[in-house]
Amino acid sequence: MASDSETERVVRISKIAGRYLVFDLQDVVYLRRHHNICAVFVGTMPQNPTQNIFMGLPVELLAAEASVLLNKGAAYIADEAVEHLSRLSAMDETGRKAYLQSLKTQRRKAQATMDEERAARSAEAKARHLGAKAKKQQPPSEPLVAEEPLFDSAPQPEFSPASVSTPTPRTVSAAPGITPGTSAGLIDGCTELTAASAPKPSPLFAHLNSKGYFITPGLRFGGDYSVYPGDPFRFHAHFMATSYEWEEELTMLDLVASGRLGTAVKKGYLLGGQRPRTDGGDGRGGLVDGGEVRAFCMEWAGM
Amino acid sequence: MAADSHLEALAQTVLYNLEHQHDWTELRIYRIPGLSRPLISGLPPRRLYVHPDEQIEIIMAEKTREERIPQPPEFEWVLPTHLAEKWSIKAFAEVFDAVDPIPPSDNPQESTDLEDEDAQWKQWRGQKRGKRILLSTVQDDSTVTYYLMHDGIVKPRQN
Repeated sequence: MASDSETERVVRISKIAGRYLVFDLQDVVYLRRHHNICAVFVGTMPQNPTQNIFMGLPVELLAAEASVLLNKGAAYIADEAVEHLSRLSAMDETGRKAYLQSLKTQRRKAQATMDEERAARSAEAKARHLGAKAKKQQPPSEPLVAEEPLFDSAPQPEFSPASVSTPTPRTVSAAPGITPGTSAGLIDGCTELTAASAPKPSPLFAHLNSKGYFITPGLRFGGDYSVYPGDPFRFHAHFMATSYEWEEELTMLDLVASGRLGTAVKKGYLLGGQRPRTDGGDGRGGLVDGGEVRAFCMEWAGM
Repeated sequence: MAADSHLEALAQTVLYNLEHQHDWTELRIYRIPGLSRPLISGLPPRRLYVHPDEQIEIIMAEKTREERIPQPPEFEWVLPTHLAEKWSIKAFAEVFDAVDPIPPSDNPQESTDLEDEDAQWKQWRGQKRGKRILLSTVQDDSTVTYYLMHDGIVKPRQN
């Protein structure tokens, strides 16, 4: 697809409790940009474990997404329960030191960022205070009395340059504790340890993904997948899609209901399946060890 | 033979519905080789389907010509089914493999005026037309529902 240097990236998919998770922000960006895979953010903030909207890292991949990436060679799957323990116990002294060193570096970076922010904040506060003071001197009028606590909550009537500089030295000693976002520093690359069982592929998903469509879970429109012609930030879904086996029975009522529903949400209803491989070289075959994928789109005819 | 006559009767039911409820004309039942069921072809009173890209091209053409382009109806394939039937992806694939995109018509006027101009929007009635069938489903109370079914990934109309 893209021919950047970034295409060499191999994403680590952590398999935890049967779910396929990606923890690295750079990987998430890469998957979305280069493989048209959005996945679903499922992480909560530690401070707010009951959070159920505006989720953050990690992202959870559908089994079909993990399967597509695996087949492209763009990712590997690590069974974390096995791997984490074995990797940690097998770590030698130099590896350990390197990891601790990287933690220290991260901490220093965080410290520097925090200092910078604090300095910026206090400079801003100072400017605001001076502005307020100037304002107070000019018109000694009514609303200002009520407003004043808003401007400076700290009771510092005489705001001197000395008091600005005091907080900075005080906090230097207390370096912030950090929780690393990934354990990438601990684990470098795929190990032969984990032949984690391959995720279940979906031929229809692979077919749509290979045509450049973005696919998200489809419950909200009543199908297996919602299919977008581009990034969902920029496009509405074109289809709600349902994947079937080649000879799986479809009841007509399901077709009519889904067709009707698709039209009601201004989408096409897409159904598809893969022809089993017939051991002849058919043209479009070979997606996921099978034959050609057929897809059909339904719309209400308006009559 | 019993199954065959059931399918014939089903096709006849749909044909009458199209003829008398929806004012279709030139209706004919086709037996296509390699297909166990009959298909209907016919001409709706108005154009049944305009591909979204075709619509854009028509609008652009109308803008340059500064006049409306008439949209006469096109022949459509109709697949009669009954609500109690069970279909599969395989069965639909067989139907689509057996038909041509454009149903046979003995309406020469439509096919000839395709040739004279090579305007993009006209191609949609000819070589750019994808395979589509009108899926008609009959229930025992004689309700017939109609859904357009396209072969392949065809983006939905803006409605």
